[in-house]
Amino acid sequence: MKNFLQKIPEQVKRLSVLLIVVIVVFIVATSLLTPKDFGLVGHYRASAIKINADQKMQYAGQEACADCHDDMWKTKNAGFHKNLSCEVCHGPSLNHVNEPDQFKPDKPRDRIFCPVCHEYNPSRPTGFPQILSASHNPRRICVTCHNPHNPTPPQTPKECSACHAEISSAKSVSSHMDIPCTKCHEASDKHKLHPREYLPTKPANREFCGQCHSQDAKGDKFIPRINMATHEPRYVCWQCHYPHLPEAQ
Amino acid sequence: MEELIQHLTPILKEVWGYIFPNEIELHWGILIVLYPYLTGLVAGAFILASLVKVFNVKELQPTYRLAMLTAMAFLIVAPLPLLAHLGHPERAYEILITPNSTSAMAMFGFVYAWYLMAVLCLEIWFEYRRDIILWAQKETGIKKWIHKIISLFSKDISEKAIHFDKKWVKIITIIGIPSAFLLHGYVGFIFGSIKANPWWSSVLMPIVFLFSAIVSGIAMVLILYMIITPVRGKQLDILCLDKLASYLFYVMIIDFSLEALDFVHRVYESEESIKILAYLVSNKLFISLVVIQLFMGMLIPLAMIALIKIMKSPPDLKKMVYFISAILVQVGIFSTRWNIVIGGQLFSKSFRGLTVYKITFFGLEGFFASVIVFCLPFILLYILTKVLPPWEEARNP
Repeated sequence: MKNFLQKIPEQVKRLSVLLIVVIVVFIVATSLLTPKDFGLVGHYRASAIKINADQKMQYAGQEACADCHDDMWKTKNAGFHKNLSCEVCHGPSLNHVNEPDQFKPDKPRDRIFCPVCHEYNPSRPTGFPQILSASHNPRRICVTCHNPHNPTPPQTPKECSACHAEISSAKSVSSHMDIPCTKCHEASDKHKLHPREYLPTKPANREFCGQCHSQDAKGDKFIPRINMATHEPRYVCWQCHYPHLPEAQ
Repeated sequence: MEELIQHLTPILKEVWGYIFPNEIELHWGILIVLYPYLTGLVAGAFILASLVKVFNVKELQPTYRLAMLTAMAFLIVAPLPLLAHLGHPERAYEILITPNSTSAMAMFGFVYAWYLMAVLCLEIWFEYRRDIILWAQKETGIKKWIHKIISLFSKDISEKAIHFDKKWVKIITIIGIPSAFLLHGYVGFIFGSIKANPWWSSVLMPIVFLFSAIVSGIAMVLILYMIITPVRGKQLDILCLDKLASYLFYVMIIDFSLEALDFVHRVYESEESIKILAYLVSNKLFISLVVIQLFMGMLIPLAMIALIKIMKSPPDLKKMVYFISAILVQVGIFSTRWNIVIGGQLFSKSFRGLTVYKITFFGLEGFFASVIVFCLPFILLYILTKVLPPWEEARNP
């Protein structure tokens, strides 16, 4: 054994001591510094759950609202706002659930709250009801005309732009500005009341656009014409051209 | 709130197209640009040093120890930009004591510790051991004790022990090459594995990072060697410079080919992000990518070195061209890091808009903080050369 130790070069012995010191320091540091409850339930301190759970509760959850306000809850759940929880608009209301008379939940009654979702914004999905609050009945608060628990418009919209603001604004600056929506889309009256159940039609073939854009079509000379037989015959027009803004690339 | 609005309002005016609200402000700023740049210099300087020991490139011997110390100085500073960026340096030890093996970022501490302790420190120790013992014997006072402690009070300078040291320097260098690849490949991996970002998400990223790292490391050692040697009143070894420039040239060719491959691959694949990326490159990144990174940092140095090699030039012209090329390469590689880190955050994930990066001057993540972090390795290198002189004449016969 002694012979074996003597054979080990001096450098290795010294480095081994250093290595052992580093390892011991690492092990001691790990055992001292790692929180005792680390890793019991996951890669974090188990007590972090309790710290979070101990935070003061603010929200009650919509089931709690339904206990007392089940009529409004049913109305809401049958309408377009069915996916919103009550406290999205009324704010955190646990206090109100605990002491209904002392704490009253918020009731947004200004023209600022609803446009958080309904102000016109081109990134919102097509068909999502959007308004320009500066020009949409500017002096009235939203709830005068709209019931937030059943937010169907007070009157059936006359114009497509009431809901399809993005398409309408794109079309209004395009060369298709004078073409009414109904020229290309057939929408039954039911679409205005139940937009997702009754969808309007869309042109399904090349010949539809060809009514104006084929070489032998009647109409003004400035309308761009194409040879229907040779112009990308395997594609439908809207695969390359956006009909609401045909100038766009 | 008021401060935030004042900060964001001028940026908002320069936003182009449509971006999501949380994309206005960049989260990774100039410090995160600095981090891959610094680690790249480490890996590059080490690979250069390994050329001497593993591949027996004798001409580079004058730069071997300098390259090792450069790698060491830059490696010690490399985590500082991260610590400054995260803002809680006192918590840094936690990634070591509670290792999370499923997170590439969390494993950084171990990659770093391995490279620092198992590769660089050990290789420098074996390389210098004999000299340190002899220096300690001649010196007095604090210097003697510093050298004694660094040598771990080792005394054996027999023929057998020196042979053992040399053997281990070679073995550690061989282990060090994949380790250097690991260190910098890992930095590329962090970016390359962010699948939501088409500018970063590329399997070529670690390799491109690595070769640009080698380019920058060689160029940095070349610059340091060319500045330090005349300052010390010594003659530059032109054979060594020629060799350095040759290696710089070869690695740049590989780096250029890889980047070109990445570019062609992206254009040919033409994923849905290609339009916004093309717009990004031709607008916001035009100066930093096309002008600085590609022309100034790549094509001009390549052409200059190629010309000087083809034509039989006088040594002074060679030196000047090598020096200017190396400086341009540094600027180019810094620009590469900039284009990756900043470029990857300039375009919206909607692929429909671009934001802008406004660098602040003061503060923990500002321009001055990064200048300080960038200067630190040079100060550290100065101290290291005082403790462990890398010069030929300092070696004991």
